[in-house]
Amino acid sequence: MQTCIETHGLTKRYGKKTALKDFTLEIQQGGIHAIVGSNGAGKSTLFRMLLGITTPTSGSARLLGQDSRMLAPEVRGRVGYVNEEHTLPLWMKARQITAQQKSFYPQWNQSIHDEVIGYFDVDPEQKVAGLSRGERAGLNLAMALAQAPDVLILDEPTLGLDVVARQSFLEALMFTEREANTTIIYCSHQMEEIERVADQLIVMEKGMLKNNSSPDEFVARVSYWVGDFANGLPAKNTIPGYLTHRTIDGNHHILVADQGDDFGQYLKQNGARTVARNAVNLERAVNAFLTKNHNTPDSRV
Amino acid sequence: MTGTINIQIVTGDARPIFKQIVDGIRMEIATGNLPQGAKLPSVRGLAMQLMINANTVAKAYGELTAQGLVEPRQGLGLFVSEPRQLLSEEEQKKRLTTAVNAFVNEVAYLEFEAGDVLTEVEKALTKLQGANSASDKD
Repeated sequence: MQTCIETHGLTKRYGKKTALKDFTLEIQQGGIHAIVGSNGAGKSTLFRMLLGITTPTSGSARLLGQDSRMLAPEVRGRVGYVNEEHTLPLWMKARQITAQQKSFYPQWNQSIHDEVIGYFDVDPEQKVAGLSRGERAGLNLAMALAQAPDVLILDEPTLGLDVVARQSFLEALMFTEREANTTIIYCSHQMEEIERVADQLIVMEKGMLKNNSSPDEFVARVSYWVGDFANGLPAKNTIPGYLTHRTIDGNHHILVADQGDDFGQYLKQNGARTVARNAVNLERAVNAFLTKNHNTPDSRV
Repeated sequence: MTGTINIQIVTGDARPIFKQIVDGIRMEIATGNLPQGAKLPSVRGLAMQLMINANTVAKAYGELTAQGLVEPRQGLGLFVSEPRQLLSEEEQKKRLTTAVNAFVNEVAYLEFEAGDVLTEVEKALTKLQGANSASDKD
């Protein structure tokens, strides 16, 4: 299998701020890879370096087997990109934009374009300025998929779409008949979408890679414990795998990573009178990872 | 003809979607809604019905095949198998214990005598067997 994206020790500093830190990631060709991370986690910086727009401070990035700093036009032609704003020239008609894109991409597949557009109600004679946000998203997706890219990067593509447009977008993305084994990189904050679409889940936090596995395996990494501590919780930095913690009605609710059932024993040995283990869903597991280093009222106690 | 599958999936659940599909189809088979020999929807078809990634459906179908509940026929798709047990006796006991514990947890706070509860369970199980034997005939 070909490697689609490969970074080694990729680091980017802007002055004192480290946007990406020793980031090593490998994505194989094929499948839908969801990336989640708080705002400022380094997602955009990662894409900019992969696409060769920004130079790394250190480390390396490769896209479709080629060094990102020296991407040939042929390689660039195999990459699709859809951003959250769905920016298109407002004065052009849908038909004109499509014709223009088509001339850029030798692999252009008109039937894919037509199938995707079928999910939306886009009149080819309509100017972009007159299209709704959902229709623009549809037009953008239709063009991106029709260019038959090997990699398609979707940066929060459903942001601000209504329920109907969002559903059309996901259906068109997942069910349009395609020949090419496109690798889709899907950035989103919508856990419901991620649960539906993702084969792999990549979690980024503060410029670092925290997870790269299937969503199910990721959820299995996180466990949720409720303990009744007579003398308060042990110091957080001593709790193995500690992610987050809340106190509810006097009980301590703790989320930890990569701990087995023996974590219950650990809590008992450290002052818990009773211990119960709860199930977690994807959203809770992701939130636990992303809020780990955020200040909460609890963390000051 | 392809059997219609009446299952729902929910996001935000602690059970992964593929597990919800496995459980849902297993129930459809147990209740006779999917009789022996019925054809399952295609991977793509069920994925579209549930609006999820087709790979998730494929994973669930793989699990159902591994459990022996469905079997592939070359080039035709997946079909509900003849009922047979693939789980070891030990595994079956383990699953029964888990199911009983969950059930007891649900009914413990209700004001029924143990006898009433048992009668209801027996009724439900009889109904299930009835459904199965009815589907065996066609």
